[in-house]
Amino acid sequence: NAIYDKKATTTSELKINRLNVDRGPCTGKTEIYLLCDKVQKDDIEIIFSLGKWEAKAEFAQTDVHRQIAIVFKSPPYQEQNIDEEVEVKVFLRRLSDHMDSEPVSFTYEPQNPDPYEVNRK
Amino acid sequence: VPIFDSKSPNASNLKISRMDKTCGTVMGGDEIFLLCDKVQKDDIDIRFYEEDDCGWEAYGDFSPTDVHKQYAIVFKTPQYHSTEIDRPVTVFLQLKRRKGGDCSEPKQYTYVPQVLDKEEVHRKRQK
Repeated sequence: NAIYDKKATTTSELKINRLNVDRGPCTGKTEIYLLCDKVQKDDIEIIFSLGKWEAKAEFAQTDVHRQIAIVFKSPPYQEQNIDEEVEVKVFLRRLSDHMDSEPVSFTYEPQNPDPYEVNRK
Repeated sequence: VPIFDSKSPNASNLKISRMDKTCGTVMGGDEIFLLCDKVQKDDIDIRFYEEDDCGWEAYGDFSPTDVHKQYAIVFKTPQYHSTEIDRPVTVFLQLKRRKGGDCSEPKQYTYVPQVLDKEEVHRKRQK
């Protein structure tokens, strides 16, 4: 009989509880604090995704705080010349068993919304 | 002979590891994510204070549900005692247990003046 330990971080359900910011420029590098259920610092990724596009957020193992928070930087969006905001999904992914958490949303903003102030004229 | 359990939240030292912001409006109400060592959600305060003669202190606003798994707190900053400041003011904040009253090492937090007010004042002066 298999015994499942609900509290084992290797098999437990992944969950994002809260992000401190949910928008940033399409160039990436926005520092974000994520609160989550317990994760293993050497077995976790944060994925930004829209359709087939996926990019990994940047963080070190030392940015994982007590297994329940991760401080990371947003990856750049796939396209830098966006005219409008783009909403993407953010979720946790466990490397060892490829499990993903439920996503939360993040909005990429154009670098310079209206560089020539065309809309004003 | 008392036996101290180093894993008990009461015996462990309080420590602020990281905060997502270290400055905000003098009006208060800015949301801050604070990462810390183990705390108990019903026995922790976030105390803002100044070390001058006035001895001002005020507390961060949060509920027990804003304490995440004992290692993070999401709270709102208190208003500074004077909202009419001309330049940024740096104060301290620390974790403080309600029972026992022991505290963490402080971190600095800077209150910045309300920009809108300044512009309004400027406009009024120009009239």
